[in-house]
Amino acid sequence: MIDALVDGLLLILQWKAFAFMLLGIGIGFWVGLLPGLGGATTLALMLPFVYAMEPVEGFAFLLGMHSVVATTGDITSVLFGVPGEATAAATILDGHAMAKKGEAGRALGAALTSSLVGALVGALALALAVPVVRPLVLSFGSPELFMLAIVGIAFIASLSAQGGRGMLRGFLAGGLGLLVATVGQDPQAGIARFTFDSLYLWGGLELVPVLIGIFAIPEIIDLAVRGTSISGGAPPGRLNKGALEGVKDTFRHFGLTIRCSLIGTFIGIMPGLGGAVAQWIAYGHATQSARNAEERKQFGEGDVRGVLGPGAANNSKEGGALIPTVAFGVPGSSAMAILLGGFFLMGLVPGPDMLTIHLAVTFSMVWTIALANVITVVLCFLFLNHLARLTNVRGHLLIPVILVLVFIGGYTANNHYGDLLVTLLFGGIGYLMVMGGWPRAPFVLGLVLGKIAENYLYISVARYEAAWLSRPIVLVLFALAIAVILYPLIQARRSRSKGKAHA
Amino acid sequence: MPSKASLFLGFGIMILSGGAVVIAMDWPWKAALFPIVIGIPVFCLAATEVLWVLFGSAPGDQAMDFQLSRHLPAKVTLTRTLQAGGWMLGFFGAIVLLSFPVAVPLFVFLYLKLQGREGWGFSLVFTLAVWALFYGLFDRMLHLPFPDGWIQAWIGLG
Repeated sequence: MIDALVDGLLLILQWKAFAFMLLGIGIGFWVGLLPGLGGATTLALMLPFVYAMEPVEGFAFLLGMHSVVATTGDITSVLFGVPGEATAAATILDGHAMAKKGEAGRALGAALTSSLVGALVGALALALAVPVVRPLVLSFGSPELFMLAIVGIAFIASLSAQGGRGMLRGFLAGGLGLLVATVGQDPQAGIARFTFDSLYLWGGLELVPVLIGIFAIPEIIDLAVRGTSISGGAPPGRLNKGALEGVKDTFRHFGLTIRCSLIGTFIGIMPGLGGAVAQWIAYGHATQSARNAEERKQFGEGDVRGVLGPGAANNSKEGGALIPTVAFGVPGSSAMAILLGGFFLMGLVPGPDMLTIHLAVTFSMVWTIALANVITVVLCFLFLNHLARLTNVRGHLLIPVILVLVFIGGYTANNHYGDLLVTLLFGGIGYLMVMGGWPRAPFVLGLVLGKIAENYLYISVARYEAAWLSRPIVLVLFALAIAVILYPLIQARRSRSKGKAHA
Repeated sequence: MPSKASLFLGFGIMILSGGAVVIAMDWPWKAALFPIVIGIPVFCLAATEVLWVLFGSAPGDQAMDFQLSRHLPAKVTLTRTLQAGGWMLGFFGAIVLLSFPVAVPLFVFLYLKLQGREGWGFSLVFTLAVWALFYGLFDRMLHLPFPDGWIQAWIGLG
């Protein structure tokens, strides 16, 4: 095992493999920064180039590119409130709020360091987990995966707003997301649902224009209303000093960063859930780390823990997603499904061979994820001060540039003008949600999980009828969902009684 | 204002979810199962929210999410919000009518001149830089397909 680990490192340090990894990192760096250009799409575009490569070189190129996309995606989210990647949307909530307070450097420092920690945890999990994870994955059938989706929504809906009223709005937003996910051709019966005879809607609503609209447009309108820079004219000195503070924050809340990394890894392992889910669950967990209701109110207004959680989870999920891909040939996400194509192009078959004959190649993947993230984070830190200064640029110079990126980012989903309409429509909905004090996170999670949850619900009902409800893991997950709903209510009640006692 | 937005959203979701359940009733159960299972509780929750807004006393806590700036007078906020919305709709209209390659420089230049009140020289140089980024990255490097605008198609310039 140790020999294979060292061999894996030596393989990736060969000049050709290393050069391909650097090339991949360069592409991934920019793909992450640009809104709308997805890591999975770029992976698909780059796949034909690995034909002529050796497996180690091909994986160094593809994984080097893919594993840094979420890292640099956080930069766009923090600085401009536009998700650079679908997997970096949760970072906006507190990261961009910090940027507006003149703490862009600190938010970026925290996002990048937690991303690095997350990537290393994911890589370590990949190295260690294969023998452990097999029974876990195999014990989760459709009923359990459906319940896992429900737990995820319950988690974020109950934790993203305060009190009973907030929870009601959280669940409403989550339910709306699930409902919106049903638009398009139904996978079971082939019925066109809520498409209003529009061919564009047959494929359902793409996540990217919805995400860009719902997150970016309210921020752009607010920036235009304020008429200032993003940081509201905070002195530049504060921006520069913050990056180190962000690094320190990661270690101040190291337990939270590790827990969120593990959440990301676990979600990555679960087939079909993906990184867009991991970040929200991690954000929900980060809000749960608040000791009382007062402290929880700081989330959304620039609490660094809201940056650390998603930052760690959306990088650790890559290592997690590789586990079922490499070990069983079951891709944990759409990007991994594309990567699976890469295995076959390079003459490898995922499965037991990857853990025996080609173990060194598997470990070279572990090293690629780790090294690519270390290199990217170091590069980002070199330019961090310059990046953070962008938040001091006058708003009316940024708005047209951001809007161009928003519209092109939305358009890249299907290369159709309908994408722009979807961006604007959900921008309007997002603005109303922000105005009314509704959380947007549960909506996005509902939308992401909708199709997966529907599929699992259908299979559960068709295969087990009502008996799926009595499966032991389903019952445990159901109890967990109830506990997650009740926890903030009990916590709020306790702090009220404490307040009364003090009075 | 927050209550109005909540009421609008609540009503909108009631209509959407109610309509979704009614429409789904006509589909085979395979297709109808999920919209009905989700639509009914969403309708009930939306109705509760609407009743809460109409008859409840407290406006409810803010979500753990981005908050709009509220330090400006309401009239200024409304005017600037409508202006921002107008620019976005205008940009969308320009893209559809003139295509991305024309709409991008036109929008950037007009925004800088009219909204930002920047000088001619700066506006032109800034527009050129944004256009170069757009053209170099999205057109030349990534080869994104940008179809002709309706006007180009209409006058046969495509």
